[in-house]
Amino acid sequence: MNFENFGQSLQLMGIGLATVFCVLLFIIFFGNVLIKLVNKFFPEEEKAAPSAAASASAVDANVAQAINAAIMKLTGGKSKAEKIERI
Amino acid sequence: MGEILEKIYGMTALGNFVENPSYIIMILLAFFLLYLGIKKEYEPLLLVPIAFGVLIANFPGGGMGVYAAVDTTVNGVLYHNAVTLSDGTIWSDANGIPYNIYEVGLPLIAHDLGIMNYLYYALIKSGLLPPIIFMGVGALTDFGPMLRNLKLAVFGAGAQFGIFAVLLVASQFFTMQEAGSLAIIGGADGPTAIFTTLKLAPHMLGPIAIAAYSYMALVPVIVPLVVKLTCSEKELKINMKEQDKKFPSKQEFKNMGVLKILFPIAVTTIVAIIVPDAVSLVGMLMFGNLIKEIGNNTSRLFNAASNGIMNAATIFLGLCVGATMTVDAFLNLKTIGIVAGGFLAFGFSIFGGILLVKIMNLFSKKKINPLIGATGLSAVPMASRVANDIALKYDSRNHVLNYCMSSNVAGVIGSAVAAGILISFLG
Repeated sequence: MNFENFGQSLQLMGIGLATVFCVLLFIIFFGNVLIKLVNKFFPEEEKAAPSAAASASAVDANVAQAINAAIMKLTGGKSKAEKIERI
Repeated sequence: MGEILEKIYGMTALGNFVENPSYIIMILLAFFLLYLGIKKEYEPLLLVPIAFGVLIANFPGGGMGVYAAVDTTVNGVLYHNAVTLSDGTIWSDANGIPYNIYEVGLPLIAHDLGIMNYLYYALIKSGLLPPIIFMGVGALTDFGPMLRNLKLAVFGAGAQFGIFAVLLVASQFFTMQEAGSLAIIGGADGPTAIFTTLKLAPHMLGPIAIAAYSYMALVPVIVPLVVKLTCSEKELKINMKEQDKKFPSKQEFKNMGVLKILFPIAVTTIVAIIVPDAVSLVGMLMFGNLIKEIGNNTSRLFNAASNGIMNAATIFLGLCVGATMTVDAFLNLKTIGIVAGGFLAFGFSIFGGILLVKIMNLFSKKKINPLIGATGLSAVPMASRVANDIALKYDSRNHVLNYCMSSNVAGVIGSAVAAGILISFLG
């Protein structure tokens, strides 16, 4: 049995697990502080702030109008797009 | 005529296959991995490029296999990071002095060793791609469920137990650097495993990456197995929503949008101060998340990080990692140790999270479903989905997905921090 490696691994286990716990406990603590600070200084949700993910899938109004115009022309005004999504 | 046939035979790879049939084993392995990726859909986005990398690297004479840099003695003189070519000669300059691969320019690597070695040493060995992929992962991660159940994030730490438990065992069979690289498979995070192995034991990169991604693909099998062995039916029936009603939280969220923007900045700062070696992973993860949460003003950056850059990085990472799995690097006893050790690390990590929940349940009135501990490993969001399915099997009203996502996302941070610690102590 390699006692030197075993000892070092045991030491790393103690330090490693303790550090991971500390980091996550810090994140929990400061996360809670952050929640309180945001509640105090920014109490209202801004309505016009869609996330990047949401805006990426949205289609510009002009583009939607152009797509609809093309569909109307092709179908002789019988159909139009109800929902346009980026895929 | 005989001479022409001999020349044609020499041109093809047939002679090499006859000389060294091990190549055939590697090619069959590549076919098997391609089958798993394509037909069985085991992490196809990564397993397919890795498997194809294995395939093209193992055609003798193709020049697509990545050469390992090892210290070599020639005429009694030690040369660092020398490369032994496939014909057994050492890659040397005109005076016969072996090149140190880290001291030569990339064009020379491309010219002498081929394009795959160029890509490997420029993109992978430099440590560039894993943090880039972390940026993409961050852009696709929502920290909302974690912020709503912040206390549950602590289980992301419990589930790192497997890393250090297997380090203890592996240190008896491997060097400490190799043992650290093997143990990090327990973090259940592919880019983290690759990043750590590159720093500690780059010669084991191929098998470790394959083991890490294979076990991540097997989360739907491994998590239920460990849960079945360690949890009672009563524990699995703990309904988190009912517990929330019994013991309501005083926390309220008035502006989640601003909170989500400030959170990645705060986490990066905390991790950078405590474990600087983890910043390249956690920092990029949080940067990716920040550009997602800012919204319209950074949507172009978000699009690049989560689509183009991440996809390109995934292709090169997969192909290059696969190309490191040559006959010499893969067909040895260490690979068996990695496969077995990786499984143990994975299992112990899940058990570590469950154990922490059980201990906390002993002292707390508000009970927690042990599945939330089981998802403390990083495999996001698959581990949470699997845990949710298990909970629903025992109680069809018990949706634990959002709770599991908290420990699951915390697990990503936890495994990156654990990697930073291993690199800092063993690197």
